[in-house]
Amino acid sequence: MAVSSTQVQFDSLFGLFTYLAFAVGIVVFTFMIYLILRYREKASSRQPEDTPILGKQPQSRGHVRTVLLTLTLSTIIIVPLIVGSFGAVDSILTPPQQVCQGCAIEVTAHQFYWQFTYDNGTKPYNTDNILRVPVGQNIRLSVTSADVFHDFGIIGYDIKTDAIPGRTNIIWFQPNSPGNFTIQCFELCGVGHATMKGTLVAMPYPSYMAWYNSTVVH
Amino acid sequence: MNTNYLYLIIFAALIGETDVEVNLSSIIPAYNEYVTILLGIAGTKAILIAMFYQHLRYEPKSLSTWVIIGLVIASLLMGLSFVQLHVGH
Amino acid sequence: MAEQLRATAKRWLYTTNHKDVGILYLITSLFLFAAAGVLALTMRTQLSAPGNTLLAADVYNQFVTVHGLLMIFWVLSPLAFGFANFIIPLQIGARDLAFPRLNAMSFWFFLFSGVMMILSFFFGAAPDLGWTLYSPQTAALFTPTIGFNLGAGALILMTVSITMSSINFLVTMLKMRAPGLKLRFMPAFSWAILITIFMMLYAFPSFLAAVVLLYVDRAFGTVYFSSIQGGSLLWDNVFWFFGHPEVYIVLFPALGIIADIIPTFARRPLHGAKYVIGSMVVVAMLSFAVWGHHMFVTGIGIVSTKLYTVTTIAISLPFDVMIISLIETLGMAKLRLKAPALFALGAVANFIVGGITGVFLASVALDYSLRGTYFVVAHFHYLMVGASIIGLIGGLYYWFPKITGRMYNEKLAKVHFVVSMIGFQILYFPMFLLLDMPRRVVTYTPDQGWGLLNLLATLGGFIFGGAQLLLFYNLYRSSRVGPPSGPNPWEAWTLEWALPSPPPPHDFDVIPTFLADGSIRFGTGPGLPNGASQSNEIGYPNGHAIGNSASLHLEGLSPWPVLMAFAAFIFFLGLTIGKPANPQPVSYQPFWPLIVDGVILGVISLFGYSREKFTVHEDTQVESWPFRQVPNMKLGIWTFLGAEVIFFGVLIGSYFFVRTNDAAWPAAGTLFDIRNGFAMTLVLLTSSLTAIMALASARAGNRSGLITSLAGTLVLGAAFLYIKAGEWFSLGGSGVFQNYSLPATSYFITTGTHGVHVFAGMCMTVYLLANAIKGKYVNGDHTTLEHFGLYWHFVDIVWVFLFPLFYLI
Repeated sequence: MAVSSTQVQFDSLFGLFTYLAFAVGIVVFTFMIYLILRYREKASSRQPEDTPILGKQPQSRGHVRTVLLTLTLSTIIIVPLIVGSFGAVDSILTPPQQVCQGCAIEVTAHQFYWQFTYDNGTKPYNTDNILRVPVGQNIRLSVTSADVFHDFGIIGYDIKTDAIPGRTNIIWFQPNSPGNFTIQCFELCGVGHATMKGTLVAMPYPSYMAWYNSTVVH
Repeated sequence: MNTNYLYLIIFAALIGETDVEVNLSSIIPAYNEYVTILLGIAGTKAILIAMFYQHLRYEPKSLSTWVIIGLVIASLLMGLSFVQLHVGH
Repeated sequence: MAEQLRATAKRWLYTTNHKDVGILYLITSLFLFAAAGVLALTMRTQLSAPGNTLLAADVYNQFVTVHGLLMIFWVLSPLAFGFANFIIPLQIGARDLAFPRLNAMSFWFFLFSGVMMILSFFFGAAPDLGWTLYSPQTAALFTPTIGFNLGAGALILMTVSITMSSINFLVTMLKMRAPGLKLRFMPAFSWAILITIFMMLYAFPSFLAAVVLLYVDRAFGTVYFSSIQGGSLLWDNVFWFFGHPEVYIVLFPALGIIADIIPTFARRPLHGAKYVIGSMVVVAMLSFAVWGHHMFVTGIGIVSTKLYTVTTIAISLPFDVMIISLIETLGMAKLRLKAPALFALGAVANFIVGGITGVFLASVALDYSLRGTYFVVAHFHYLMVGASIIGLIGGLYYWFPKITGRMYNEKLAKVHFVVSMIGFQILYFPMFLLLDMPRRVVTYTPDQGWGLLNLLATLGGFIFGGAQLLLFYNLYRSSRVGPPSGPNPWEAWTLEWALPSPPPPHDFDVIPTFLADGSIRFGTGPGLPNGASQSNEIGYPNGHAIGNSASLHLEGLSPWPVLMAFAAFIFFLGLTIGKPANPQPVSYQPFWPLIVDGVILGVISLFGYSREKFTVHEDTQVESWPFRQVPNMKLGIWTFLGAEVIFFGVLIGSYFFVRTNDAAWPAAGTLFDIRNGFAMTLVLLTSSLTAIMALASARAGNRSGLITSLAGTLVLGAAFLYIKAGEWFSLGGSGVFQNYSLPATSYFITTGTHGVHVFAGMCMTVYLLANAIKGKYVNGDHTTLEHFGLYWHFVDIVWVFLFPLFYLI
């Protein structure tokens, strides 16, 4: 079930990487295990002809052919990885210019809580650190920090960005279905690092607007 | 030429270049150009000191190559962070 | 009994023999491996269930940080260099390293730095922000503990140790190989170490600069890493510029060991040896171009992130060549699956998993989800533990017979292997599945669903950790009562196996010669056969040492390395254990008694070191392409200057970084008087002239000219410092420094570091002047003067750049 645009994109790219990883891994491990089993020393083993002797330089075998083959295959495998990554990062790093009202939110990291400021100036301060967003809309988050280097991540949405004092990083996503998701800090920022949690509440658009319109500017 | 004279000539060049550096801003108004030329002059001073005072010109090729390769690599490395900072934000 | 004890203590404290130093490194790092492992197991216990309260958050943070720092700096590299110290001279046919006392000093610096790191626990709190020490949480403002300063001091001392080692090994491997041993005939392990040294030389000065700047920020209130203009990204760049090559630095020696072990036990040459070495070289160079992948989500922009994605994914290609070559070596082989081979193959298997998952993390797009999660933790542990430690353990078993002359227990070693590998997979594989769990968290909640995987990992941790007890027991017991191994129990073909096990103190009776086709002609002598044979009694059937073995151990002893290291230790201790002075911004009072003691002891040691009659036997017949005509010391000094270039480069680069990030930088001439800079430049240039005149006088045998020139250099150096002091006092008087602004800070630190170099140069000048007055240097013995000149002109060159950068733009 699609949770968010970022999760969908991540899953498909991660799936590509995983598929190729298993393919490569299985081939290489099979090759290696086969050689180990086939050529391990038994009573019937033959002495290789080119066993080096102390005092003589080993006659290293190994054609350019193997190297070229390895490099060619590797290049072929990494091309889709790079192309896929480029496509995905193009999307991640081009946030939409316009978002709906209430969909551009500032995230400020503190030691050790999250503060969310909505575009009407609302800064609902509650110890639950709740970030409300409407489903089906593009949400743009501007992330920064008020003190040290944190990292704002939404578990399940497969999106995060560093929260750095003096800088603002922008991420965006579109929630696909309602639900609650954990927000955590992903950069060690002090003793409260593990407790710096929040909740992303993805609400149906009407409920969200009802809440948004009821907020009071502080 | 007596090497002592060579050292004195290099010294004169170094002092002269320093004099130019100090007065350069009055001749080159454009800031970026000024900085580039200034650092270029500093670079030539460094080369003179390295080649003649540190004797690199007269050392075996192996040593001067060693030094140059090292410097090239070092500058490439420094240069990379510059690209990373100032391109494509 | 007491006599025995004294002799043993004297031998181990004063040794400069590469084999002894190697053993010291091995034992110390194995001990620290156990210590850091205990930290890890405690952390794993804490994490085995949600909401656990075994460790409080602040203690956990210290444990995770010190675990990382110890393992990376005080275990992985020193373990590798323990082997390098013991084995490299034997593999290349040298009698010792180029600078044996420097080598011993490297070890003692390393040891005392480790003590300092552990001491940090007892001074408030050890460093507790991850081994990556991100800014600005490391600023004194956020972390005012003294223990953190000790940690910084420990890192500085350790970096000094590594720099000394790099120069030593570089000169040794380039200038002291056996006659005819061309670089291409060197074994894979030697090559791996040589390439590692290059990376160390270019990476560690950056780290040194970073830690020095961090320390200065904390101790003096400068704001490099806590300002907006510098801050997180400045540290990120400077640290990871070093940090990424560092992970290959801790990997390559193990790869070299694996590349020596697999062919030996497969009874076939390494497949595509020159491509394996070539790939290592390519990786070493590329390793300096990928560090941005640690900064993928910091906001460096789409162009940079795409660039780093390409370079990082591309770096997998040479690794592919290496791994395929190692596997191909098994083809048509006769593979003896003894413990070293098992560990080598296990390391390759783990490397494949770790390497493939690295490609995942190389994608900037995937990193937007995976950054800072346990997926990353799993990835690097598969490499650092699974490839590096497992490979190094393979090396322990492989070279154990050579080092001790005894064979370990093979059955126990096999059990060790099986249990280790199983424990390893159970410990780390679950972490790949924890790809939503943040790193470095002291605990988590039950609803997050991470409990089972964490419990599994903890179980694996205890299995893996427990297995290592088998290693320690095996090695310890076998070293006492193991059967004699003979010179070459593995029928290997690299040169170290031609010597007795263990080798006599002087290693080779006669250094062998390599012929044009790479075959070895062993030396002849009383009781030694001509040429080599396949049997265990190659070359030296009696293992006769020249002279009495016991007495030989007492040659080449010097007390100065350990005293010098101790002096540095207490000096840095004094610098870092002082109590905080002001609360805002925080700065620290140095603890002067230790500083003074350290300086006094240091000066005495330096004096003793330089006056000691320590002769290094330099064989005249050596292979030293391409530096045939360059003396060892000169090569060493130029190499050292190369590291200094990186060090100053990072300082100057940091200045560029903060300046280009700051729109409001004061224009030239407003903050600093150009006339001061101009005067200092003239003075220093003139001092270069007098320095070169001093050398010219010495060459010409002109004693009075020499003394005058040296005196002139001294006076000019003093004048430089005098003008600078005047400038600083007036700036301090007008309040420029106290506002801790970046223009003031960067100026003070960069020119200050340069000033320290000038001061050091002046101390050398005093020493040279004293000698010149006594009549030295004018009788063809002027090389010391020449070496001083190289250093002094370099210091001048640095100022040639600092002057326009700080005064004119």
